[in-house]
Parts: sequence; structure tokens; C-alpha cells
Amino acid sequence: MSTARRFFFHRSTLRALISILVFVALWEVGARSKQWFGFAVPWVGNIPAPTAVLHVWIGLLGDPGYWQSWYLSLLRVLAGFLTAMVIGIPLGLLMAVSRNFNDTFFPTFEMLRPIPPLAWVPASIIFWPTQELSITFVTFLGAFFTVVINVLGGAKSIDVRYFQSAQAMGASKWDTFRRIVLPATVPSIVVGSAVGMGITWNVVVAAEMISGGGGQAGGSGGGLGYFIWNSYVGGAYEQIVVGMISIGIAGYICSELLRMLGGYLTPWLRTR
Amino acid sequence: MLAPTMTAPARGARTQGAICIRDVVKVYDPDRAAIMAVDHCTLDIAAGEICMIVGPSGCGKTTLLNAIAGFHSITSGEIHLDGELLCGPSKPLADPGPDRIVVFQNGALFPWKTNLENVAFGVVMQGKMRKKEAYEKARAMMADAGLSGTEHNYPGEVSSGLRRRVEIVRALMNDPKVLLFDEPYRALDSLTKSVMHEALLEIYYKNNVTIFFITHDLEEAIFLGHRLVIMTSRPCRPKLILDVDIPHPRDYSVLTTPRFRELMDQTIEAVHEEARKSFEAGEREG
Amino acid sequence: MFREHAASMQSPPSREAEQLIVRLLKRTMPFQVISESMLQSVAGVSRPFSYRAGEVIYRAGDKADDVYVVVSGAVEHLLSETPTTVERNRVMHSGDVYGWAAVLGQDKRVRLATATCVETAEVIRINGAALIERLNEDPATAKVVMSRFATMITREFGAPAAAAQIAAPDPSRPDAPAAAPRPQGQATGLALTMFRMSRWLRSPKPLLMLLGFALFLGFWYLSVEVWKLPRFREMPGLTVVFKEWFSKNPTYGLSFYTPEYYEHIWVSVRRVGIAFFLATALGVPLGLFLGWSRTFREYVFPVFEMLRPIPVLAWVPLAILMFSGSETPVIFLTFLASFFATALNTMLGVESIDESYTRAADCLGASKMQVFRHVIVPGAMPYIFTGLQISVGVAWFSLVAAEMVSGQFGLGYVINTSYTMVRYPTIVIGMITLGAVGYVTSAMVRVVGDYMMQWRVRELALGGR
Repeated sequence: MSTARRFFFHRSTLRALISILVFVALWEVGARSKQWFGFAVPWVGNIPAPTAVLHVWIGLLGDPGYWQSWYLSLLRVLAGFLTAMVIGIPLGLLMAVSRNFNDTFFPTFEMLRPIPPLAWVPASIIFWPTQELSITFVTFLGAFFTVVINVLGGAKSIDVRYFQSAQAMGASKWDTFRRIVLPATVPSIVVGSAVGMGITWNVVVAAEMISGGGGQAGGSGGGLGYFIWNSYVGGAYEQIVVGMISIGIAGYICSELLRMLGGYLTPWLRTR
Repeated sequence: MLAPTMTAPARGARTQGAICIRDVVKVYDPDRAAIMAVDHCTLDIAAGEICMIVGPSGCGKTTLLNAIAGFHSITSGEIHLDGELLCGPSKPLADPGPDRIVVFQNGALFPWKTNLENVAFGVVMQGKMRKKEAYEKARAMMADAGLSGTEHNYPGEVSSGLRRRVEIVRALMNDPKVLLFDEPYRALDSLTKSVMHEALLEIYYKNNVTIFFITHDLEEAIFLGHRLVIMTSRPCRPKLILDVDIPHPRDYSVLTTPRFRELMDQTIEAVHEEARKSFEAGEREG
Repeated sequence: MFREHAASMQSPPSREAEQLIVRLLKRTMPFQVISESMLQSVAGVSRPFSYRAGEVIYRAGDKADDVYVVVSGAVEHLLSETPTTVERNRVMHSGDVYGWAAVLGQDKRVRLATATCVETAEVIRINGAALIERLNEDPATAKVVMSRFATMITREFGAPAAAAQIAAPDPSRPDAPAAAPRPQGQATGLALTMFRMSRWLRSPKPLLMLLGFALFLGFWYLSVEVWKLPRFREMPGLTVVFKEWFSKNPTYGLSFYTPEYYEHIWVSVRRVGIAFFLATALGVPLGLFLGWSRTFREYVFPVFEMLRPIPVLAWVPLAILMFSGSETPVIFLTFLASFFATALNTMLGVESIDESYTRAADCLGASKMQVFRHVIVPGAMPYIFTGLQISVGVAWFSLVAAEMVSGQFGLGYVINTSYTMVRYPTIVIGMITLGAVGYVTSAMVRVVGDYMMQWRVRELALGGR
């Protein structure tokens, strides 16, 4: 790495640190304004200060209940996400390969797609015997539509010349699918799954809050969303922010892992 | 294709647009990797000359063009336009301006403006003309270049060859001293290219503007240019300067003349050697 | 001048018609290069024809006799089945040449594509065999013409991106009859849409679509109300839901005929509207500046990226704490997700603009503000509208969640309370309504986008889709 690049790297890192510090400082001052200056800054004045949040967070680090919430949310995200991949990828490919299948089911699919996943929560609770299954189902729906659309779009945008050259080299239908359609779709599967992962976290948190907030099944649900809601109901406002940051970190880690996996699966897209 | 009445102006008939490049050096990343793109390049281009710059891909020709246009700074040396300093030790980066207009490799007509709006863009932005006036002049210039009927089309709606012509008219609209071409016909097929070459010469015979033209197509270079400057592979410096003594106006029949073949033979060896060097350097890097 | 040659030639064109044909051929890519006298000779083996909109000129598999040149109108050229579902089609206008299979070797003279007249068209048909015979009188020219045919085939019909006619109108003949620009661009677009629509109606697609709907609804009806499968029988059935929805006197209080239904829709739409407006008004400028100024981005983007991974719903309690009342928190939550999507996409849009556009503007003497106004803003437009599409989607997503958790009215509230009050059919009514309203709003954004980016619409239309 050259000095010039290092210089730029330094400068942007420095600026990032400055901006984050300024943000946290403003938050601290705003949150404590009542206590320090005697008047409450609107909006920010009503939320806990970062130092208080940090204090509570350190206390929570030794609490197994907190880690249990992490574990439960992660488990649900994984379950919903993997189901969406397992069902969504073949379905998308099938729609791309078979015109009749596509013409039959795509309009129905498009009709269901605009319904926000969370609107399915009550119906899902009615249908599935356990709360766990209903949360997983809604999570699955969140990622499912995105994955299918991306796979379909990816497979349809493959350059015809690839097929022509494959045919010229005597590839069978299956060969063409296995050697061209599948690898050429991998990048859009990666993109689709990254977007799907973001939605999955959103849905999990929401589903946990709704089922908790709605008073269903009490505390047995758990998870980070429930943790936030419970903290709100119990008046432990610092814990709300701890929960938010925890979800942010967890979501970020999942996306990064997925990005690394995607890079590993598509070596030909790596830049030199 | 050309009207028989058209006469070729003598080289340098125009008094404006002489470029003087003195000892120009450009080093990228001077602190560490120190990649030398241009090495003590000295070149004089007369007003109204078509100067063809030939060299292998990535040899640093575009760096030179960018320095003249004012997109990149130079490390040392000076570039003058009609005796005025564009860039030099005191001012490493020239100001881009409407006296030197670049025609880009992939075309840079704004796709969101119609061809007419594109052509009028420069003078309207500079505040030289009011919109209505500018559109009138633009319409006249487009008609002159045989582009009538495409004024209200967007660039994306017309063929790539036509787009290049609109782009040249857009440049001429500003009455520039120099046109800087950065391999503008690279992406075109050879048939369209041949049409574009004749169209370019036609425009040149009318406007007689200085042309600094980068290419790696030898046939194009000899067909269009008054002079050929063959560059060494990176770092870039003139290796061979060749006068093309085929009289203007030219049309496509010169391609088959013995003199043309002779000139091709003279240049092809020099170019091939540089291309090979550049290729091998690329192999090592890669 | 004109010699009686090819057997298929019935009536030779008149002298004037011949002149017109010569001028037209002069503008086409394959014939551009050949001499006047040769063109005369080619014109001799040409015959003018006209077709009505919708008429099929030839089908894939037909024997290929003639090469076609469009004089006026529009003809759609559709390559037959490719190994995938991709369709390659191209619409041709005045000066375009097609039907080149007629100049291939004897045994290959079979149509590979189907040509259909989209808009009443006049075409010139040139007998392929006769054409080759004429051209062969001058082998050098014949070679050029054939190589131009080859280029045209590979480029124009292989790659749709390189569509559009190659030949510019001949500058020396501004009065050439067909040299007029593609006339009535708008009418062509409309005719094209109508044509595609009618083709869609004639294809099996609408039937298959109905079959898909029937399978879905049939499964819903049978599994819940007829077979009463386990779990399914708890769900509201198809007939129950629709009876309730269209009932003047609904059992659970919500149907097409109750004002409450529209009140809920209105509340939700209003919330999304306000949030979307705020997100656009703040997100687009922020994104433009983030993309435009490196310094600004380096200072602001890290905070933006720090807040973005936090799911919108995690903000619910904090929003309730920060804003008093029940309306503001809901709008804030809806706004938040839209804002991130809009700002991020706008920033990406600015970054996607090719450097040569800003450089060209610099060259042409535009000031920094002018570059921003005339290059950065329109250049980022396609991404901005992609962002706005996503933004509408996530706005509805978070609105539903926010209304379900805390809200007094709105469709999300309807769905949630219908569950707690055991009014199951109303849940489904709420879901369907949400889907429909969500679809309409995102279609509206798309229409506005198309309206503001005419250049893009026209460019894409030419690409054959």
C-alpha cells in the first residue's frame, strides 16, 4: 500500500472518528441537558445518554438472559433466511427456465408481493401451531420475495451468447443449466440474499415485538426485539438503546459474513 | 463523397490554436510507486494542423491529452496555447475551458438532454447567448453537418456514429481553438468508422480548427493526419514524427494509393515494436 | 437502364419510384457505399409494398426470397425461440434493412425470424437472388455490401444495445423523402404498446395467468372450506372473506360499504404520504451532497452507516419516548426507513455518473453550480427513482409494523385489532387492501419517474424492451 493511499485512508478514518465522536457528544449533551442546564432539548432530551447506556450495557454483559436474547433472534433469522433460500432459489430458477411455469405462477406471485410481510403476522399466528413457527414463517416471507425476484432477474439477464456458445460446443440442456444458468445466477443470488438478510432482521425484530407487545405467550418468546419491548414496558430506557445497538451489531455481522461468503462463491467478480 | 468545389486550406492557415508542449513530465504517485506516464515530451503543433498521436494502449497518450484539457496536473514542464501558459511549474493544473474541447472515447453527450440542447449547452452555460439564440445557431450548425431531423431526439435514440457527429458539433459550437480527440471512434466498427472519417474531414475543411487526435489505428492516423507522432510505450515520449504528404482534401480512395501503403509500411514497424514492449510490460505486471 | 432479369419480377417500378428507391437505398447501411449506377440497377429488381398494422410480413421457417427495406412506418423483427426465455426483438423504421436470409447461400434461405408490421408500413422488397446477380457484376462492391450485411446482422440483430439505424441522413440530400426524422415519436410509442398488448392477448399468457390465480384461489377455497384440512380450517375462508368484504351489513363491521374502511385507508395513505414526502425532501439533497462532495461524505457517511443497520422497528420504543402523541412516532418510523433508502440510492446514483460527463461540462465552460444542476442531478435521476421505489415499499413495511404496535387507526391497526378481537375475515380484507394500495402507490412513483426521464424511456424502448 502506497503512502498516498495510506494518507487518504488515514484522513477518512480520522474524519469518520471525528464525526462519530461529535454525534455521540451531541447526544450526551442533548440527553443530559435537563440535568445540566435545566431545560430539555426537544426529542433528544427524552432519551437516555450514551454514558448511561454504556454503563447499563456493561452490567448486562454478564447477564445470561441478554445473551439468550441474542441466541434466540439469531436462530430465528437463520431459520427464516435459510428456508427462504432453500425454497426461493429453486423457484426462481424454475421460473427462469420454464416459460409456462413462469407465465402461470408469476402473476400470482406478483399479486402477493406488495402485501408487507408484517401484515401476515396475525394470519400466521392463527395458522401455525406454535409462536416460534409463526415468527419463522413471517421471517421467511420477508426474505422469500426478494430472493425469488433477484434469482429470476439474474437468470433472465444472462447474455444469449453464452447459450449459443454452449450449444455450439454441444452442451445438453442439463449441461447448459448446470454450467451456465447456475453460475451466472450466483451473483444475483448473493445480492438478493444480502437484501433478504436486512429484511429478515427487520421482520424478526418486529415479529418479536408484536407478539410480545400484543401480550401473546408472555416472556417465553424472547429475542432481542422482545428484549427492547420488555425494557420499554418495564421503564428501563437505557436497555432499549442497548437492545437497538445489539441488533445493529448482529445485523451487521450477518451481512458481513454473507458478503464474505458471496465473495468466496464468485471468485470471477473479484477485482485485482 | 466530397463536393468537388471544396478546397483544402493550407496547413496553419489559421492563426489560432498552436500548441507548444515543452519537456512535460507526468509521474503518478510520486512518493511511492512513481509510475512515469509521460517522460520529457516536447512537441509543437501548428495552428490548424491535424496532429495524430499514435501509440500502444495505456502508454500515456491520454495523460498528455488530460494535461492539455486541464483534467490532470503535470509534474514538470510547460504547455502553451498560442503563447499563453496553460500549465507549468507555477500552475500544474490547467483550467478546463471552451477553447480546448475534448471529444471522449465513449462519447459524453448528456443522455438526458436532446441533441439540440446538448449542442447549445456550452454557449448557454457560459452566458454567451440567450437560449433562443443559442438554439437557432445550434439548429443551423446541425443542419450544416447533415444532422437535421435529429434535433429533438435524445442521444440514446440515434446511432453511435451519429452521436459522435453531434458531439463534434457541440464542441464546434463554442468556436474552440483546439479539438482534443481521445480515441473517439474506438468502439465503432470499421465501416461506420470510414464514414465518420470522411465526415470529420468535411467538418475540418469548413472550420480548420487544430486537431489533437489520439488513436491506435494506423490507417485512421495516416488517412486523417497532416502529421503522425508515434509515441513510445510507457513512459510516453515522441519516438517518430512523420509528415503525411498526401494532399488534402482526401477521400477514401487514398487508402488504395501506393503512397499510402508506403507510409503504412514506414510506420508499422515502429508501432509494432512499441506495442510489443507495452504488451510484455503488461504481462509482467499482470 | 432497366433490364428484364429475375423471373419473380412482375411490374418494374416507374422512373420516379426508381429514383426514390435509389435515394432510400443510399441511406441504408449495406447499400451506402455502392455507386449510383449500381443502385439504379438494384432499384430495378425492387418492388414497393405496403402492409397494414398487425399484418405478418413473414414467419420464422418461411422460405426467404426477398430483402426488405423500410420506407415508412414500423416493423417489428422478432428472432424465434432462443435457448432461454429471452426474446430478441427490434423495431425497425425508415431506412432499416431486414430479411437478410435471402442473400445467404441457396440452402440457407429460410427465415429465422418473424417480421410483423406494427404501424402501417411501406417497404421495398428486393429479390435476393437477383440482387446477388446484380452485385456480382462488380465483385469489389459486392464484397463490401456483403460484409456490411454481415456486420449489420451480427451487430444490429445480435446485440439489441446497438439498435437504431446506422446511416445518418445524407447531408447532400436534405430533401430526400424518407430523410425526415422518425415521424411522430409519440404515436409510434402508443402503436407499439397497443401492438404488444394485442400480441400478449393472443399468446397463451393471459390464460396461464388466470390458471395461476384459479389454482391459488381454488386451493384456498378447497383447503379451508371443503376439505377442512387441519390448521387450514382455522383460517378465514375465501367465500367468507369476500362475502364480508362486499356485504352491505358486514358481520365484523368493515366492508366496501362502511365509511370506516375508507377512513382506515385514508389514515394509512396520509401517514405514508407525509413520511415519503419528508424522506424525499431530506434524503435526495443529502444523497446528492454525499455523492458530490468527498469531504462531506467522509464526515457524514460514517454516522449514517452506523445508524443504518438498526432495524426500523427497533426504534419503536425510542420513537414513542422522543415524540409525544401517537401520530408523530408512527410517521417518524415510516419516514426513517424511506429516508435511508432514498439517501443511499441517491448517493450511489451520483457515484455512478461517468466522469466524462462532468469533464465534458467543464470543457464547455459550465460553473460548479451548473455542473451540479445540469449533470449531477439528472445523471443521478435513474438511481434516485430506484431509491424512491424502494422507499415506498419500505414505508408501507414500517407503517404496518408501527401501526400494529402503536396506532389508533390505519390498516396495520385494523389487522392487529381484528386478530385480538377474533374478527378473522377482516384480517384478510386488511391484507388485500394493503397490497392493493401499496401497489398503486409504487406504480405512481414509477409513472412520475418515467415522466421525468423521457430520455430513458425512449432509449429503452429502442433497445427492444
